[in-house]
Amino acid sequence: MGVTKHDVEAAITSALSPSNLVVTDTSGGCGASYEIEVVSEKFEGKRLLERHRMVNTALAPHMAEIHAVSIKKALTPAQAQPQPEPAADKLQAEVLN
Amino acid sequence: MASTATAAASPRLAFPLLSASASSSSSSNTLRFPHRRSRASRSSAAVAAFKKLSEASPVPIPQEPTQPLIDEDTLPSKPGVYGVYDPAGELQFVGISRNVRASVEGHRRKVPANLCASVKVAVSDEETPDRAALNNAWKSWMEEHIEATGKAPPGNVAGNYTWVGAPQRPPDLRLTPGRHVQLTVPLEQLIDRLVKENRVVAFIKGSRSAPQCGFSQRVVGILEAHGADFVTVDVLDEEHNHGLRETLKTYSNWPTFPQIFIGGELVGGCDIISSMAEKGELAALFQKLGLRAG
Repeated sequence: MGVTKHDVEAAITSALSPSNLVVTDTSGGCGASYEIEVVSEKFEGKRLLERHRMVNTALAPHMAEIHAVSIKKALTPAQAQPQPEPAADKLQAEVLN
Repeated sequence: MASTATAAASPRLAFPLLSASASSSSSSNTLRFPHRRSRASRSSAAVAAFKKLSEASPVPIPQEPTQPLIDEDTLPSKPGVYGVYDPAGELQFVGISRNVRASVEGHRRKVPANLCASVKVAVSDEETPDRAALNNAWKSWMEEHIEATGKAPPGNVAGNYTWVGAPQRPPDLRLTPGRHVQLTVPLEQLIDRLVKENRVVAFIKGSRSAPQCGFSQRVVGILEAHGADFVTVDVLDEEHNHGLRETLKTYSNWPTFPQIFIGGELVGGCDIISSMAEKGELAALFQKLGLRAG
């Protein structure tokens, strides 16, 4: 029995304490494959390469059993917040123009 | 047969292809290069030695390969510039060659007949004209055509390989000549040297022309689309890169492939490169480091 989605979730949760975590099993016959979206305060001040390294490190115990990992998002909570809608007056101005 | 042999051996001079969206104005700007006065004078004299496109008379090209081309005096085996027309009289391609006759012979054998009906030529009286003179003659013909029609000949547009062969992809780099060769330096040192001596290195699964996984294929596609000069190393090539796969993981502290190094440093894998490409960060990085091809 290889690594499971639950194993991946548990490993990342333990290492990064994410405020949001989405793990999608994309295995397709070549072996275990996962797409990962992580939101964690621990990414604060870290550039993208380091964030990916942190996720990889969390998964290191399972990496030998994983065929492919794709880290689609590695965001801080602030970055994960939806962007505010443009102000009504500005929007109206744009429409009028 | 002699003509065929000559065509096969004829050295072709490189010439620029125009972008598909080239306009008359931008093409003119692209085709003009600043020269010092003395060079400009020589270039002008050199261009003057060749007929203008509008001054050259079209010569029919027999459609049957078994039929000989028109006589040597009309279509000589000399250096020059030439333009090939389709049956409707539309200019399809402007080329330069050390042997115009051989080049035309080669085209009529390889290019579809509906594109290759007649040819205009302008040859040099010199046995071995200066390369710059040939290039200037080519540019002059291109400019003349673009000025008259507002567009470049289809065959000269970038990406159209009907008349010139598709560019060969650079071969993958190999760390050793073969597995039988005993390394005299640690593999880590070879890797370090490799990523520092080549400004963009992609360690991929499979070869550049035949990546073995989707992630590697995507990375190659992104790098090529950005016009970067980059080299690839096949981590699955156990014969020439034995031990690379595991050693590289330690060297880069990155567990998966592909791995892309730019400027001697790991930038990331497929996800990071894709993200950077989408945001325009990769293009900006290449621009900053002066890594754009050509």
